[in-house]
Amino acid sequence: MSEPMPDFVLLRPGSLDEAVADLERHAGSRFIAGGTDLIANLRRGLVESEVLVDITGVPELSRLQLGPDGLVIGAAVTLARLAAHVEIGRRYPAVAQAAEAVAGPGHRTAATVGGNLCLDTRCLYYNQSHWWRQANSFCLKYKGDTCHVAPQGARCRAAFAGDLAPALIVHGAEVEIAGPGGRRRIALEELYRNDGAAHLTLEPGELLVAVHLPAADVLSAYAKVRVRGSIDFPLAGVAMGLAPDGGGHARLRVAITGTDSGPILLSCLDEPWAVPPDSASLARLDKLVQKQVSPMRTTTASSHYRRLAAAALARRLFSQLAARSEE
Amino acid sequence: MTPPKARRAAGTRVPLVDGIEKVTGRALFTADLAAGDALVGRILRSAASHGVITRLDISRALALPGVEAVITGEDCRHPYGVLPIAMNEFPLARGKVRYRGEPIAAVAARDAATAEKALALIAVEIEPLPAYYTAEAARDAGAVLLHEGKPGNIEREVHHAFGDPAAGFAAADLVCEERFHCAEVNHAQMEPHAALAEYDDARGQLTLHTVSQVPYYTHLHLARCLEMDASRIRVVKPFVGGGFGSRTEALNFELIAALLARAARGRVRMALSREETFITHRGRPETDIRLKLGLRKDGRITACACEVVMRGGAYAGYGIVTILYAGALLHGIYDIPAVSYDGYRVYANLPPCGAMRGHGTVDVRHAFECLLDRMARRLSLDPFAVRRVNLLQAPTRTPNDLLVNSYGLEECLAKVEAASGWRQRKGRLPPGRGLGLACSHYVSGAAKPVHWTGEPHAVVALRLDFDGAVTALTGAPEIGQGSSTMVAIAVAEVLGIDIGRIRVVAGDSAITPKDNGAYSSRITFMVGNAAIDAARRLRDVLIQAAAGKLEARPEDVACEGEVFSVRGGAQSSLAFAEVAKAAIAIDGPITVKGTFTTPPEAQGGRHKGGAVGSTMGFSYAAQVVEASVDSDTGEIRVEKVWAAHDCGFAINPLAVEGQVQGSVWMGMGQALSEETRYVEGLPVHASLLEYRVPTIAESPDIEVAIVESNDPLGPFGAKEAGEGALSGFPPALVNAVADAIGIDLDELPLTPDRVLEALVERRRRARLAETRRAS
Repeated sequence: MSEPMPDFVLLRPGSLDEAVADLERHAGSRFIAGGTDLIANLRRGLVESEVLVDITGVPELSRLQLGPDGLVIGAAVTLARLAAHVEIGRRYPAVAQAAEAVAGPGHRTAATVGGNLCLDTRCLYYNQSHWWRQANSFCLKYKGDTCHVAPQGARCRAAFAGDLAPALIVHGAEVEIAGPGGRRRIALEELYRNDGAAHLTLEPGELLVAVHLPAADVLSAYAKVRVRGSIDFPLAGVAMGLAPDGGGHARLRVAITGTDSGPILLSCLDEPWAVPPDSASLARLDKLVQKQVSPMRTTTASSHYRRLAAAALARRLFSQLAARSEE
Repeated sequence: MTPPKARRAAGTRVPLVDGIEKVTGRALFTADLAAGDALVGRILRSAASHGVITRLDISRALALPGVEAVITGEDCRHPYGVLPIAMNEFPLARGKVRYRGEPIAAVAARDAATAEKALALIAVEIEPLPAYYTAEAARDAGAVLLHEGKPGNIEREVHHAFGDPAAGFAAADLVCEERFHCAEVNHAQMEPHAALAEYDDARGQLTLHTVSQVPYYTHLHLARCLEMDASRIRVVKPFVGGGFGSRTEALNFELIAALLARAARGRVRMALSREETFITHRGRPETDIRLKLGLRKDGRITACACEVVMRGGAYAGYGIVTILYAGALLHGIYDIPAVSYDGYRVYANLPPCGAMRGHGTVDVRHAFECLLDRMARRLSLDPFAVRRVNLLQAPTRTPNDLLVNSYGLEECLAKVEAASGWRQRKGRLPPGRGLGLACSHYVSGAAKPVHWTGEPHAVVALRLDFDGAVTALTGAPEIGQGSSTMVAIAVAEVLGIDIGRIRVVAGDSAITPKDNGAYSSRITFMVGNAAIDAARRLRDVLIQAAAGKLEARPEDVACEGEVFSVRGGAQSSLAFAEVAKAAIAIDGPITVKGTFTTPPEAQGGRHKGGAVGSTMGFSYAAQVVEASVDSDTGEIRVEKVWAAHDCGFAINPLAVEGQVQGSVWMGMGQALSEETRYVEGLPVHASLLEYRVPTIAESPDIEVAIVESNDPLGPFGAKEAGEGALSGFPPALVNAVADAIGIDLDELPLTPDRVLEALVERRRRARLAETRRAS
């Protein structure tokens, strides 16, 4: 029960090609960077991997390039480095705020952008010791056949709790992926699917290389609700991008984390919204959020609360960004 | 020679004498001890909540290479438990299991991986019995009993009435009754449980290093469970990373480690995971309170009726004491002429509860201070005013015969009222922000120990040898609370010597005098008095020697600043080292002993359970909490806390401030975010991520004011400082939230979901009312 760290071999490739080849060569191996998620899961027997491929020695993965055309964030850039970048904080505030809001300062010095985007989904019935899960007959996500959160359902409802994804999504991020089949680029929201047991669309052997953001064209912000002001994963996290048209209206982009098995990009926002918002339009946004998120009992806080909190954060961010757009 | 500058030790700010080891990382905690070739001990725990063990086969585990011992309930037939009248727990389950995580078997193997493999090879079959996770379910008429002879699964019922409650309520202008619910909480001490056991097979001797707050009780239980003569056992307490009550009784892992070491004829180290440490539990039980108060228009309390139901978990532990404390400490803080109390301690299929900082009083004080505030509001009385009209006058005895010898609550109230700017600011804060007040108290040591032997309650021995160093030997377990520093200060103060001349050796049964342990805030009062007594005896010996050398009468010799001098004569003086040498020359190295025994008048009433709550002196505290509430998300932010604590006399103001801040902070955890949660008896909270101890991000500025009421029996007038301020925080916060948003919350902790639910409910009702009005 004391969960000793299992033995593993650590490989340290110096290039991306080597890293991909290393992973391909060793069945069941995993990439590791900061390890803040993976190591805890290894200890708890949630991951069994005899070979870990440490990608922090690959120079390409640590680049952080801000130019007139946009921003490239290597997957191995630490959250601390991202959060401390003054100019990124100015142009992409939601991104810097989300990075700053992850876990505690100690975690952020090790944890990486790629790790946060590929963060394993979380659930009360999953993030427990081997003894605990065995006593509970395991679960649909790992080694079992029932989802204890929704026993009637056919899929795992574990929640995605990465803070960065929604913030990057509202800025129109794309992710660059490398794998045995070469490189590809997809919109960040396409990295996810709403299945807690398989929430990433990465193919076997694939690796996140970088996040590409276009030049910032929106005002943005990120806010999260959690029980404690540090360490805790978001019960609900909301990022908003607001693009004013200068004529009393603005386009909204809203992405939400913590409530579903992947980040939710809010739909039905196509029409321009009047700014500043009146109470009716805040109520409309509130309703849209409440309708589109589907938190389940994956945390000790009630799912109803997470729904209400997500909606409240969206309202608040809209008012704040609208006020800023008029400054 | 220039004598060192004379300075008093007591009352000055002294950094903890063992602080340097801790901040430099040199301190060795139990899991750090050089274990060398020690075997690794691991525990197999029950996956079932309640059931009969029908099969337990360890043969395959025993056959695994590298496994040196496998033990089960067969290896110890003696139940244990901290209360001699309620021992019903076995180190390893015998016959039945009663909670998920209960130890069933244990292995000692050459390494952790082998031990894990061995655990997996043990075959267990359990025939399930119905399991109960709430007090209500366990008390149901048809419920299967967890323990024989305990109908309704009630471990202990208490029915006490003092004064005439019916007449009191009849005389009241306002009578209110409310219900409160407080979640179960855990100590979450920094250091997980650990033990290192060594069995010397040739000599038949056992040495146990363990994280205990009560090495003496552990010693007794080792002798009992292992059927060993106590003289063949040595219990050592290394540096301990916090207790808060989690270690105030012998715990199963300590006994298991010892049993394993004997079975393996060697050394076994056992380091529990955080999850196992949580499963060992002993925290504050989930508690339901129904409280009725009667008040006159001027706020005078005429009567109090309180019913308390505690979900105690699967075994007795301290349960009887907890349920008695909850009733007894309704008294002793305000002048209440009539009090009735009905307490029910209930068994349930969950880890056993125990003692936790503010033992027994916290949840009841919470209910009391909340209801008092709400009733004051209805009577248009200020929260300070309603408390002031109900103050006690010391010395006095309460209706349940508790001694109140010193009483600084009035001054505590004055200090926090002024410091918080209450009169200027209350009712004038921006929306969503509020101020709340609450008072609290606690015992300075239980006047009767659980193992009543008649011997002194505390003993301290002092040694003085050729080197001129004074060694203080105490069994009082230093667990981070500063007890060793307190002993050093007391000795330095009485002897008039520098604190650097004193070494404190604590918590080794082979060396230090027996001590009952670190619980009920007894150490400063009892061990402090024993240390003073010992130091006076040593001073007498030294003064005799000094008088001889100075050719003066002993009554004319005094020692201050390490210099002995004849009163009035500056010329005739001797340095401490010279006097020490002279004293040793007479009769060799010196050993003296000081003791403390609680006076009979402090030992409580003659009614059944009357010893619980009895103490030599109560500490008192008042605190004001300023909080703001986010009405969109239900998040509470504690802006600032002003706490005043009457500790009688601050022997070490630095330590008192730290303890008061720690108490307030721990109360804040219980009030804001800490709670245990079980899914069918499985703890979902058993990590520091899910068990939400506040982080520094939630920690407000805590301004501490020390009040000194000079207790007539206390060491230098001191009383306890480590627990009393805790129970004031939760009600002060709930009162502040009521001030901020106009909602009275009845359930702890005030997590954002609970707060938002209350806000949403109010909006819903307002809408309903609006619709009704419109139609």
